[in-house]
Amino acid sequence: MAEFDTHKNKLTVKLVYYGPALSGKTTNLMRLHDQLQAELKGEMMVLETNDDRTLFFDLLPLGMTAPSGLLLKLKLFTVPGQVAHDSTRKAVLSRADGVVFVADSQRTQSINNGVSFENLAANAARVGLDFDHLPMVVQFNKRDLPEVLTEQEILARWRDTQWPLVFSSALQNSGVVETFQELLQQVYRSLDEDYTLAKQHGLTAEMFVAGVMGDEYTQVRRRVANEPSS
Amino acid sequence: MSGPDGNSVSAPVFDRELSLQALLEGCDREQLIHALAELLGVPFRLLAVEGDFACGEKLESVAARAPLCVELEPVAYLEVQDNKGTQLAAAAGLAELVLRGAARYLMVSGLHTQTVLSDYEELQRRHQALEISEQRYRELTQSLEQRVADQVGTIEITQRQLYQAEKLAAVGQLAAGVAHEINNPIGFVMSNLNTARSYLDELATYAESLQQKSAAAAAWREAGLDGVVEDFRDLLQESLEGSERVAQIVHDLMGFSNDDAMSWESIDINTCVQAACNVTSGEISRHAELLTDLGELPPIYCQQGSLAQVLLNLLLNAGRAVRDAGREDGEIRIQTRLEPGHGGDTDKICIRITDNGMGMAPETMARVFDPFFTTHDVGEGTGLGLTLSRDIIQAHQGHIEIDSEAGTGTTVTVYLPVSD
Repeated sequence: MAEFDTHKNKLTVKLVYYGPALSGKTTNLMRLHDQLQAELKGEMMVLETNDDRTLFFDLLPLGMTAPSGLLLKLKLFTVPGQVAHDSTRKAVLSRADGVVFVADSQRTQSINNGVSFENLAANAARVGLDFDHLPMVVQFNKRDLPEVLTEQEILARWRDTQWPLVFSSALQNSGVVETFQELLQQVYRSLDEDYTLAKQHGLTAEMFVAGVMGDEYTQVRRRVANEPSS
Repeated sequence: MSGPDGNSVSAPVFDRELSLQALLEGCDREQLIHALAELLGVPFRLLAVEGDFACGEKLESVAARAPLCVELEPVAYLEVQDNKGTQLAAAAGLAELVLRGAARYLMVSGLHTQTVLSDYEELQRRHQALEISEQRYRELTQSLEQRVADQVGTIEITQRQLYQAEKLAAVGQLAAGVAHEINNPIGFVMSNLNTARSYLDELATYAESLQQKSAAAAAWREAGLDGVVEDFRDLLQESLEGSERVAQIVHDLMGFSNDDAMSWESIDINTCVQAACNVTSGEISRHAELLTDLGELPPIYCQQGSLAQVLLNLLLNAGRAVRDAGREDGEIRIQTRLEPGHGGDTDKICIRITDNGMGMAPETMARVFDPFFTTHDVGEGTGLGLTLSRDIIQAHQGHIEIDSEAGTGTTVTVYLPVSD
């Protein structure tokens, strides 16, 4: 549920990177921070423990201004993946406008992916999100590692779901921006329904994506599930 | 915030927009002002983005200002009265750094509070659910104990009744056999006695006719046969009466062993009392005099056989008490009365059996209704007599009272309600 502040003419949007522990959620955010050329880009707030595990959340603020002068403020959060931090995950997921589910492609992590995805669905229901209509992208990360599920195996399992699938290697800088762009497209549609962005604020989907990501990324080739690269 | 799963969290959400006022509460405001004053060297103030004064000094005029951004957009402005050059940017950078630290602290502590609260509520909910389930188990346990106790009680009563019923059946069978065996001989003894009496009458008539024949009459008188005839008649009369009594006892005994004795019917209690007296009089009359005082009673719906058993028990107990006391003036009184009910109570039939036997000490009294408690020698009593008597009387909605004094005697009173 985005927050519309009429007084400050500001729309705050919450996007959450969800997934099992050590699947690369924080790395996704770091890559976005490094690469995106958003109109407004804040400093990244990283709250890690000394063994690289996220304890509370990470936060990356991004923003752009619509032709009408409306400030769109995007807050990108990660959740702690470890099972024990479920209350924290629930609090971070609360009022989210979009979700990236970051799965770990390694064969040994299949069960953890499943548990985490079920946890996402359950927590979404608990905090009152309509999971079936929530803008979401599923990202299979760590494609650079050996012993990963093949793309065919993953596609066989996920093809029939409603969510776009992106293969990525956040460490090697591939798929991260595509994932985010895919999410922005969905989020724009959802926001446009609720706040008539195009009509009332003169903001199109292209302008929105370009404003948040920077002009050079509007032409980035999408490497999504239904048109996989060779 | 009130979540859809019903848990209300009173803490504000951790990722809310933080105003300058809120941010300043997350850091050391005095130290910040002090550092900014050192750095700037001119009067300055911090203004919220909405224009509200936050801290610093009252400025006469503003020469320059720098926006302070924590996330993306400015939350405050740092304004100076005199712009001497580059120091403003450095001071703004410092202030931003401090405010960002404050934001980081406030968000984390907010998130922590939020999760602790929701965890606490979850715990409370589970605790409550546990308590409810524990309460349910406790109730179940309690009712289970009660139910087991009830069942055990029922089984005990049934066992006693079964025991007594079997005993009664055995005694009844024996009595029936004995009664049957006696019934025939006593029949012909009585018949013969009657015949003998009529023969005697014939002899007496013949004796009268002999009066004229002087020799025979003289011989008759010589032998004193007039007295013999007289005496013979008395003997026969006594024997007849004794036989009738034997016949009555046999009849009563057969009544006890009757299969219908356990069925419910409407009877006169006095008949029952009389029968019990007849059956026990042989045993009792050796030690005590049995006196009956039977009042007029309405018929009552009851188990004749069971009530007869109660009366037998009580009479035999009284008999033993008198015997053990060794008194010569032993006496057992049995009295029946109709007592009008008080208030809404129904009328009651009251059967009172009083003896002047040994009586009981209070500690014996306290245990008389306990199963298998007996003061008699082995083989003489089972210790079930009074227990069963009480059970039977209770089955008739009545109650039994015992009043006793050691050395003086005992009074047992049975009350039976008269049903409409």
